[in-house]
Amino acid sequence: MVLLQLLVNGIQTGTIYALTAIGFALIFGSTRIFHFAHGAIFVIAAYVFKFVIGDLSLHWGIASIAAVSAAVLAGLLVNFLIYVPIQRHEGSYFTVFVASFGVVIVVQNAIAMIFGRGFVAIETSLSNAVEVFSGLFMAPLFGIVIACSAIVLTGLHLILTRTHFGIALRALSQNPELVRTFGLSTRRLSAYAFVLGSALVVPAAIFTGATSGLNPSIGLHIMLISLVATIAGGIGSIWGAACIALAIGVAENLVLWQLDTQWSEAVAFAFLLVFLIFRPAGLFRLASTH
Amino acid sequence: MSVYLLNIGVFICIYGILALTLNVLIGYAGVFTLAHAAFFGIGAYVATFVAMNFSASLVIVLIASVLTAGILSLIIALPALRVRDEYFVVISLAIQILCVTVFSEWRSFTGGLGGIVNIPLPELFFGTISTPMEFFLLALGCMAVITVIIGLIVRGSFGRSLMAVRDNESAALALGKNVARIKTLAAALSSGLAAVAGVVYAYYLSFINVQSFTLDTSVLVMAMVIIGGTGTMFGPIVGAALLTMLPNALSYVPFLPPTEIGSIQQILYGLAMILMMIFRPGGIVGRSRSKRDEK
Repeated sequence: MVLLQLLVNGIQTGTIYALTAIGFALIFGSTRIFHFAHGAIFVIAAYVFKFVIGDLSLHWGIASIAAVSAAVLAGLLVNFLIYVPIQRHEGSYFTVFVASFGVVIVVQNAIAMIFGRGFVAIETSLSNAVEVFSGLFMAPLFGIVIACSAIVLTGLHLILTRTHFGIALRALSQNPELVRTFGLSTRRLSAYAFVLGSALVVPAAIFTGATSGLNPSIGLHIMLISLVATIAGGIGSIWGAACIALAIGVAENLVLWQLDTQWSEAVAFAFLLVFLIFRPAGLFRLASTH
Repeated sequence: MSVYLLNIGVFICIYGILALTLNVLIGYAGVFTLAHAAFFGIGAYVATFVAMNFSASLVIVLIASVLTAGILSLIIALPALRVRDEYFVVISLAIQILCVTVFSEWRSFTGGLGGIVNIPLPELFFGTISTPMEFFLLALGCMAVITVIIGLIVRGSFGRSLMAVRDNESAALALGKNVARIKTLAAALSSGLAAVAGVVYAYYLSFINVQSFTLDTSVLVMAMVIIGGTGTMFGPIVGAALLTMLPNALSYVPFLPPTEIGSIQQILYGLAMILMMIFRPGGIVGRSRSKRDEK
């Protein structure tokens, strides 16, 4: 029964990870920008939501809109103020990564100065767990997380496969030269990728705030998961990233069965270290070669 | 006052050693790692263990630490460096996190979060090193020796191979260079010498705990290398000096609440990293157009 409870918790954590990882995978896959600052966008969205709903005590709908606007705005600003100027003179992934890491450091500390360093949680009665089964506790939030993720993922899938914009985005990830030949602006498409990817982070940010709580440095942890998921899932494969992120969430919780909490993160990474070393091309390639 | 300055001097040398050795990987080999603080920590913990259980002789402690860190990095780097650069960043991040967990959980060896206190003073042939001045000279000496070692290696044939791998991996491979071996050796050299900083650090404070070897330290050292200038001989030392003096300089600025100095310092070097990458990717010491541009 403990194992089942851990599995349920793991699925909830994993779903939240998957939502964040997808945003990063989308941006990295289509623009090849190593957008480490995605973690900073996550933190901004989470704290804006918390501020509007908690400190201003407005409706959660307004708070969500505020969080989405803040995330999209931050994503676009990072793209236009940092990535575009850097790519004008050189595109090396190293330079972009360092600048992006700089953004994470600045945002993390600015948030710490404004909101404090400690853990804060978004208060909601939805996270009160009830016993649904003997020994199995579930909160209404679990259902909301799953339902919301399903809606977001289906929506994203429809956008990527059924709209011109989505098809153009996928084309950008495969061959930017060809996209330009067809008269589409790669710069504008990249900007759209940032809009979509940054907006995708919002539900994950809100759910993290409501379930496990927030602190300013959580962006780094979330980013680590997203990076590992994107790379282990196979670069360019959004669904590969989602699967791996879900797996990390489940693994992180299942190890609690035998080990202390301090080890959960380390065990998940140890697994992935081995995975990366033996399957560097990622899960997606692995599946397609079979 | 002079003790205060000597204290800053010792830290500049310790961070200078870390930045110099990290530069071997980031600047010369083109391998990006975020696990440097882990090897700094391994050096410090091995030094502590040897000094407290076997011998406080500086030479023995140095040899033990450098060898342990070098060999451990070989074991990790051998498989990990065969993957692409983007992947290695993630692997190094995972290594850093694993090491921090081990540092804080393996209590019998590392003392956990409480750390280890009363590390004995280092013994050299002529006696123990105890005054701040002697420690400063020791740290400075270590940094000077490491600068010379790295300088010689980088100017030699191994250094040319390294830079060939950095500038064009396929071309180096085509010329018959064993890219994986070159990168692995660079990682062992970098991590082994980083352990020297750990030794000096453990002796100087005579107290260590896991807090000094977290990802924050890796990032700080990375910022030092980048702000000073990647792939330059003295850039990392300039970067280390600037960033080590920054919190001390900030404490003289009026109106700043002392509790926020850590955050302000990090914001400043984060901003410096962003602006550097946009306007001067070569760093302060590097040329305004970096070598990478010519690729």
